[in-house]
Amino acid sequence: MLTKKQNLLETMNGGNPDRFVNQYEFLDIILEAPLRTRPQPGDIITNEWGITYSWPEGQLGPFPIHDDEHRVLKDITKWRDVVKCPSVEFSDERWAPAIEHANSVDRDDKYVTVFFASGTFEMTHNLMGMEDAMMALYEEPEYMHELIEFLTDYELRYAEQIIERIKPNALFHHDDWGGQIASFMSPDMFAEFFLEPYKKAYKFWKDNGIELIVHHSDSYAANLVPHMIDMGIDIWQGVMTTNNTPELIKKYGPDLTFMGELDSGVLDHPTWDKETIAEHVKKACETCGKHYFIPCLTQGLHFSSFPGVYDAATEAINEMSKKMF
Amino acid sequence: MSKIEEVKAHVEKGKSKIVPQLVQEALDAGEAPQEILQAMVDGMGVVGDKFSAGEIFVPEMLIAAKAMSKGVEVLKPHLAGDSGISLGTCVIGTVAGDLHDIGKNLVAMMLESTGFKIVDLGVDVSTEKFLNAIKENDNVTLVTLSGLLSTTMPAMKQSVADIKASGLTGFHVIVGGAPVTPEFAKEIGADGYSPDAGSAAVLAKKLVTA
Repeated sequence: MLTKKQNLLETMNGGNPDRFVNQYEFLDIILEAPLRTRPQPGDIITNEWGITYSWPEGQLGPFPIHDDEHRVLKDITKWRDVVKCPSVEFSDERWAPAIEHANSVDRDDKYVTVFFASGTFEMTHNLMGMEDAMMALYEEPEYMHELIEFLTDYELRYAEQIIERIKPNALFHHDDWGGQIASFMSPDMFAEFFLEPYKKAYKFWKDNGIELIVHHSDSYAANLVPHMIDMGIDIWQGVMTTNNTPELIKKYGPDLTFMGELDSGVLDHPTWDKETIAEHVKKACETCGKHYFIPCLTQGLHFSSFPGVYDAATEAINEMSKKMF
Repeated sequence: MSKIEEVKAHVEKGKSKIVPQLVQEALDAGEAPQEILQAMVDGMGVVGDKFSAGEIFVPEMLIAAKAMSKGVEVLKPHLAGDSGISLGTCVIGTVAGDLHDIGKNLVAMMLESTGFKIVDLGVDVSTEKFLNAIKENDNVTLVTLSGLLSTTMPAMKQSVADIKASGLTGFHVIVGGAPVTPEFAKEIGADGYSPDAGSAAVLAKKLVTA
């Protein structure tokens, strides 16, 4: 039996995996690493960037608040005066749990993985609100380029710190680039603003020990796949069924592995059931196949919003491995 | 290309710095304000169709809406009385428990461009707030509920049911958002569903002018 890491590599390289890679099994994500303040359910917090988030009790996650009182950046031309970069340096005490976790990982079996969120695109609209951030791409492109470069530099400085501390092998990087049926911006606009900064960032991570870049965007983004490949992404996590994943695998398989196809919005809800999950897993595995594909809920971490859903998907994937391998 | 055609073309391209000047030039040339407004509405219709077809994306839709809004500012003093295009008032909001606003905002912009007066209740809107807004505003012809979370679908269902059972009349209720399907919309008693902002405007106009 192959290790989790070997099985992943066989899957990604079109070789001989002996089972499906099962969701996030190959990543050991070091969530203890310090990054920034995150809200908990029921909280309203303001983080180190000055962005205020609300996480209403009973809801699935936090939302940035963008009314006039809370929006950080109201005029992109003033971004240098307004946007203050948080420190990326943390005390030994803050790092200790992350280092302990990283040291406990069997690196022959799994990747010690950095979790990085929010990505540069998300940061622009977290700071400005979606409408302002999107319009500024047309109206004030030079300032947007500057802001994106600034945000990328922040990521690189954080990368230096965490690479030194935990010596990770993989990066799990969040940045949602679309909604359910379309990317937020055209591929050309995406290339103009985000391709080069991402190439720079992902090259830096890879030049410093990262072997695997897993990018999360639980959305439609099929039209951005060539850019994903160009910027150095190895695995796109969060690929939704709206992308026609089997076709993407045929077209781009050797260059990119697709992780998802189990839409969390459809499967992960209060009245979920095992049978429906098993049906979706079966369809995903049969239509996407054994190579360049990892069946996984589209949620951006290794758990579900409702208890039992993630485990039910894991179990169903194991069953499909028995049938198809 | 006539001045009116130029106005329409520049709205479609989202030229918010040029459109006000073109509107003024069209007025100076003696074009009827109503026709200039109609040209901008038609331009936004093209934008909505292109958005629905995946030919343009969110930034293009936003700058087009802004361009139209700038044009309307110039036009407004010339639109006496009821000579503007009015499809009535639309009450819009994201349902209780859901804080997503992008989709709802895009729909509101498209509806405004089509000729609705917009009463935007924001996000996390309770049924009571929807009902109060319907009561407090004149000529409400459309109520639009948005929701992006599967967990807030029950809230959407409840709001639609309560609005329908309230005894208030004269409006259609439409719903949308990522987890909403035409089947779900029908099941909860909504009068219409659309998958995106462009087609929401088309649907809304069709419903209120039928």
